[in-house]
Amino acid sequence: MIHVEKLRKSFGSLEVLKGITVEIRKGEVVSIIGPSGCGKSTFLRCLNLLEQPTAGTIRIDGVDVLDRRADVARLRQRMNMVFQSFNLFAHLLVVENLTLGPVRLKGMDPLQAREKAIGLLRLVGLAEKADSLPDELSGGQKQRVAIARCLAMEPDVILFDEPTSALDPTMVREVLSVIRRLAKEGMTMVIVTHEMDFARDVSSRVLYFDQGVIHEEGTPDQIFDHPRRDRTRAFIHRIRSLTRRFESPDFDLYALNAEVEAFCEKQILPRPVRDHVLLLIEESLHLCRPFLAAGGLEMTLSHSEATDRTELVWTAPGVRLNPLDGEDLEDTLSLNLVRNLCASVDHEWVDGVNRLKLVLKAGSER
Amino acid sequence: MDLKTHTSGAATVVTLTGKLDTVTAPAFEKRIGEVIGSGAVRLVLDLSGIEYISCAGLRGLLVMSKLLKEKQGKACLVGVEGSVRSVFEMSGLLTFFRVEEMVEVAVASVGEGPENPGRR
Repeated sequence: MIHVEKLRKSFGSLEVLKGITVEIRKGEVVSIIGPSGCGKSTFLRCLNLLEQPTAGTIRIDGVDVLDRRADVARLRQRMNMVFQSFNLFAHLLVVENLTLGPVRLKGMDPLQAREKAIGLLRLVGLAEKADSLPDELSGGQKQRVAIARCLAMEPDVILFDEPTSALDPTMVREVLSVIRRLAKEGMTMVIVTHEMDFARDVSSRVLYFDQGVIHEEGTPDQIFDHPRRDRTRAFIHRIRSLTRRFESPDFDLYALNAEVEAFCEKQILPRPVRDHVLLLIEESLHLCRPFLAAGGLEMTLSHSEATDRTELVWTAPGVRLNPLDGEDLEDTLSLNLVRNLCASVDHEWVDGVNRLKLVLKAGSER
Repeated sequence: MDLKTHTSGAATVVTLTGKLDTVTAPAFEKRIGEVIGSGAVRLVLDLSGIEYISCAGLRGLLVMSKLLKEKQGKACLVGVEGSVRSVFEMSGLLTFFRVEEMVEVAVASVGEGPENPGRR
């Protein structure tokens, strides 16, 4: 239905889309997720030519919409868009917002258009607001009107650009339930959203955008439960991390502790967890001192907001060596402490690099 | 880490404050060695002012214990609470040291009997 190939879009020297290739089939619900500024909304705006792509092709049912002879107005009727800020005409009644397009652009009879508009308002649960002004409605109601207005043009595809991001949390559900209903009815939709549960629930396919490209795509199950790539995983699990490299045994522990404390504070980790993180770093660093003497090692401390999991990973190139296998009596205390602080301790040696992964016990396990 | 001493009966009460970790443990070992070297071998270590202790600090306490053993001295810890206590527990060292809740009881325990490193 929609075939996008090597789509690029730059704003001056800033390249926002760096070659997007994707196919969207009839009846599919494709959610686009990703960090702010990754190009999700720009991609959507390029699809219905609210932004002119810098390069690439967009074909809809085989028709190149970037061809100068393409009928842009017709394209926008087929591929209508719902914006995060509703974009209703404030001076028109709700029902007039719905009839304007069909009457003006499609030449529909006004009475017939009104009858259809009332039917669509009924579909989104707002028939009784037909003769209200948009300002008399809540944010959630305005967005439902915007969806009904979109449906009034009988589009083949609806593009949703963060349809709930301007809404109070209490109103998000009413809008999402309307979109869910459309999905069940087989409407083809492309949805840019930050509502992860919704995207998981409603989508047939999920695109994870990062740095202007489709970094990973798959079914909701693949993307949300089994992401293959690190950046996808970090985004889905809302993982934040701190990485530091140690070159010699004479590192500044207090400077490191200050950074770790600042990191923990940012993740709103409670005081006892921060103490355990500091302790785990100090003790494991003590155990890893053979690596320090042999050229250095790298530490990555990460915390997942979604799973509340805190993980410390040490990596060091060199011969296979598990620092937790030591029989040095001086290490016994540190070993006991590390094992008691952690829910799991794993060492692996891959491609000449030692990797020691320590997962801190969760609150309930401590 | 700060270390202060005062005498209470036959005991020397050593009050520690701050952090006892990789950075401060060497200074602790040096200072406690000087205290023991000066003849104070019945020690009460008050850890209630310690905000953070790691195994480096625990190893410092073991060094102290060894020095006392050489001089037939003994030690008792007080103020082993909260996160400090959990480090003792997790490391398995809590049972190695004699620990009391109150300084007076600790002073009495190291003051009585022949001198030897406290172990219960």
